[in-house]
Amino acid sequence: MITVKDLHKYFDDNHVLRGINYEIDKGEKIVIIGASGSGKSTFLRCLNLLDTPTSGHIWMDGEEITDPKADVNMIRRKMGMVFQHFNLFNNLTIMDNITLAPTKLKLQSVEEARENALTLLDRVGLREKADAYPSQLSGGQKQRIAIVRSLAMNPEVMLFDEPTSALDPEMVGEVLQVMRELADSGMTMVVVTHEMGFAREVASKVLFVDEGIIKEENTPQEFFNNPQDARLQEFLSKVL
Amino acid sequence: MNGFIDKFTLDFITDDRWKFITKGLGVTLEVTALALIFGVIIGLIVGIIRCAHDQQSENERRGVRGAVLNFLNLICRIYVTVIRGTPVLVQLLIMYFIILVSAQSKVVVAVVTFSVNSGAYVAEIFRGGIMSIDKGQMEAGRSLGLNYVQTMIYTIIPQAMKACLPALANEMIALLKETSICGYIGLNELTRGGDIIRGTTFDALLPLFAVALIYLGFVMLLTWLISLLERRLRKSDNR
Repeated sequence: MITVKDLHKYFDDNHVLRGINYEIDKGEKIVIIGASGSGKSTFLRCLNLLDTPTSGHIWMDGEEITDPKADVNMIRRKMGMVFQHFNLFNNLTIMDNITLAPTKLKLQSVEEARENALTLLDRVGLREKADAYPSQLSGGQKQRIAIVRSLAMNPEVMLFDEPTSALDPEMVGEVLQVMRELADSGMTMVVVTHEMGFAREVASKVLFVDEGIIKEENTPQEFFNNPQDARLQEFLSKVL
Repeated sequence: MNGFIDKFTLDFITDDRWKFITKGLGVTLEVTALALIFGVIIGLIVGIIRCAHDQQSENERRGVRGAVLNFLNLICRIYVTVIRGTPVLVQLLIMYFIILVSAQSKVVVAVVTFSVNSGAYVAEIFRGGIMSIDKGQMEAGRSLGLNYVQTMIYTIIPQAMKACLPALANEMIALLKETSICGYIGLNELTRGGDIIRGTTFDALLPLFAVALIYLGFVMLLTWLISLLERRLRKSDNR
């Protein structure tokens, strides 16, 4: 579904991604872990071109999205993204946050979008917040709304960039729960996270990104119980 | 007390001299209102071009659109630098004696001068407002498939407007008062109206204080209106 070939990214002189190759199949749940500064978030952000790769290629459903002529906005409709800091639109109500893109991009009528939004809000238990503004919600609620906002576009893949890192500890669970349910529903997911428990339970593959490349890739069981790479062993010994 | 009444009568009642003040006020308000509208339009366009240029991704920077944007950005920067770097009085005189020499009405000259002048300041205010919005807002919009312009219109600009409203109010107030230099090109606005009375009656105190009081009144009115608007816009922050 998504193919990444020899992906490089420089920020000025800083060589962040140093040749990433990977293939993500439909329905997979890829969890990416790594130390801060390892390039894992940059890799994720390159997938929907929020960061522009310096070189290399990415294909989505056979279409090369790194082609300069590719329609970036069209591609992004198919890829939902959830951010560390939620990034809900502060000037809009929750309902408008969710319906803005589907209605303005003329994918759904206003009524359809609202109905769809309410169904999704029910799924995360936040229907009664439809008319609230983001500033009135807790972090965990904001992140659940952010997930719903992405889902309202009916994406084929969901990208999560450290979705629980900015949350108070007691709110991490509610967000992970929503992500678990999403995974169970069959959604293709790419998740950058420090939640090792989530990686263990939900991931189909876990990647260890270090120094801008994928150092190790394995099933969660092998990855955590039998790590091969020395840097990964060191990393796991610190976080587990 | 009688002296005051005599002076007052002489300054404002005799020969209907109060009309210098009211007509002048009309001109001042007309120039201010029109310059404000055009200034905000110019400022919004220039401010957005400057931001669009600074915020475009590496990919967009390479194409034809990038080249066009670079060019527009250069023009906008020159415009802002020149206008902010020269006194508005000099701009007014240049406009009157050189650029708009064939203009039929002095009001037009004044409106054009102050629109162009105010536009440069408003552009920087808007640019500051837009740049102050967390870049996560833009990323969220773009990640949903909205394009740059859509994200700007629906989320960034409404938030930026709120952020730069106090600065914009300052600019409005400054504009209202700056129009007092239009007397230099012989436009009978409020200040000149008072000055004409002073020149006729040789009494400086009452006409000039009357003029000052009127400016003050309008500035206070503007301040109050802006505070109402700010309160409305803050609704999404705390409710």
